[in-house]
Amino acid sequence: MENIIEINHLSKSFGEVKAVSDLTLRVKKGELFAFLGVNGAGKSTTISIICGQLEKDGGEVFVCGENIEKNSREIKKKIGVVFQNSALDSALSVRDNLKSRAALYGITGKNFTKRLSELAELLDFENLLGRTVGKLSGGQRRRIDIARALIHRPQVLILDEPTTGLDPQTRRLLWNVVQSLRKTDNMTVFLTTHYMEEAADADYVIILDSGKISAEGTPLELKNKYTGDFITLYNPTEDALETLGLPYEKIRDAARIAVGNTAQATALITKHPEIFTDYEITKGKMDDVFLSVTGKKLTGGDEK
Amino acid sequence: MTGLWSLTRRNTKLFFKDKGMFISSLITPLILLVLYVTFLANVYRDGFMSAVAGMNIDVTIIDGTVGGQLISSLLAVCCVTVAFCSNLLMIQDKTSGARADITVSPVKKSTLAISYFLASAFSTVIIGFTALGAGLLYLLKMGWYMSLSDVLLMALDVILLTLFGTALSSCINFPLSTNGQASAVGTIVSAGYGFICGAYMPISNFSGGLQKVISFLPGTYGTSLLRNHALRGVYAEMTDAGFPEEVINSIRDSIDCNIYFFGTKVSEGAMYAVLAGSTALLIGIYVLMNVLKKARKR
Ligand SMILES: Nc1ncnc2c1ncn2[C@@H]1O[C@H](COP(=O)(O)OP(=O)(O)OP(=O)(O)O)[C@@H](O)[C@H]1O
Ligand SMILES: [Mg+2]
Repeated sequence: MENIIEINHLSKSFGEVKAVSDLTLRVKKGELFAFLGVNGAGKSTTISIICGQLEKDGGEVFVCGENIEKNSREIKKKIGVVFQNSALDSALSVRDNLKSRAALYGITGKNFTKRLSELAELLDFENLLGRTVGKLSGGQRRRIDIARALIHRPQVLILDEPTTGLDPQTRRLLWNVVQSLRKTDNMTVFLTTHYMEEAADADYVIILDSGKISAEGTPLELKNKYTGDFITLYNPTEDALETLGLPYEKIRDAARIAVGNTAQATALITKHPEIFTDYEITKGKMDDVFLSVTGKKLTGGDEK
Repeated sequence: MTGLWSLTRRNTKLFFKDKGMFISSLITPLILLVLYVTFLANVYRDGFMSAVAGMNIDVTIIDGTVGGQLISSLLAVCCVTVAFCSNLLMIQDKTSGARADITVSPVKKSTLAISYFLASAFSTVIIGFTALGAGLLYLLKMGWYMSLSDVLLMALDVILLTLFGTALSSCINFPLSTNGQASAVGTIVSAGYGFICGAYMPISNFSGGLQKVISFLPGTYGTSLLRNHALRGVYAEMTDAGFPEEVINSIRDSIDCNIYFFGTKVSEGAMYAVLAGSTALLIGIYVLMNVLKKARKR
């Protein structure tokens, strides 16, 4: 598959703070790429560099095969960005905002009207068009931010914490829109988020810590590597749990037993078939991965 | 140049819709109006009366003189302070993130820079012409001595002074990037420009040293041009009424219709040359600043 974003040995410092150091990554065409990390890990900084807002100190960045230093205008036509903080003009109406931004891509007149009504329907803001952006609620405003980013049908959509502070319904709406655009237009999505369930659907995940990659892989790979499996054993007896002698967590009518991996789980079950009559094996969640990856670093653990 | 027109429209609209910027730009002209209503008008009237004491004059000439003095002062401050305040958008866009949102699009940096200039000049001209219209109506009531060419020349002065104010504010605002700096510029210009352009008090009342300093400021000549055009008719009327030349000249001196550069009287042509030349120079500097500035480092 073709690389749509390619970053080699990127670095950027703000005085003493190394916001990004020696970052190398690949984003493939059409994929949902999740870029995770604690606050201050360097996610927004990386995004600012990709979209030409910030000068880098070292390294190379290619978008759609073009070097951002050489061909930034061509690249800018292909990317849409939703910034962490909304950057529309609060004193102007939704329509005026989108109109002024669309014109920057050469979308005017009939083309604009058509695109606007498509987006308004897609993101459900037909009733907000005449409203002043500064007076919208956070969720309403976020929908307009996304419309702004999509106005020119970008090939790559960069989302910097798009769903922070949104209610579940609006989050669902945004995800539905993003997923359908990925299907219909084969759009690539570069996402940073603090909601791990969003990252769980990603094709590839990078966890950033202090500007460096501390873990990467598909969600499955990460789960296998950084968390064990869990066997949920229904209606266990005290005796049975004692026999097993493993750490477990009691939940209502079941116990959640932590095991190293699926192989260990199978071994355990085949060893004690009389105990495991009603059970379920599940993988760890992305939350567990994130905690284990970032938490390990914090405590300076020996495993990596 | 994709987007130039729409960016200019956006900037202009933002100025008129953003109450903070719009109202603060009108503060200086409003202060000036209040000063006139409360006491400046009387001070000038008494001054003119004593200058022509003992002569048989029509009181409307005096009213016309005071009125011309008022609207020329008003326009002189308006053109510059409004230009500065509307051009604060350049800084505000950096702090609000709107500049980032605009520059993620393939728009050229130069297009953006030109749009700030055009929008600021356009907003200022709108306000300047509105003020000119209101001022002319006021003069019509107080005592009308102007000809059509005076009116057209005043309109030209407004345009020139606006371009000067816009060019100056573009150069000053360009490197700034925080709200603190923006409000500092806004406050300093709003508070100070009325003084140094001779709107609150004629430059001829300042000390000799200060007058010399002020004679180096191009804006001074803008004020003087406006004065000359607003009052030409009044002076002509005075001459017709048989006022001695030296009396008229002393009035001209006292309200900055005559400006002296180290003792030499500056001609109207020279005033135009200074104003237009400095505007062209400032625009050149603005262009250069844009060319030299690389992508944002931090
Ligand atoms: N303009 C700047 N000047 C100085 N330091 C900065 C600047 N921008 C970012 N930093 C620093 O760089 C580091 C990375 O910041 P960045 O905004 O990229 O983090 P982030 O991963 O996006 O965090 P968050 O999840 O909180 O948004 C932080 O330590 C931050 O303080
Ligand atoms: Mg961030």
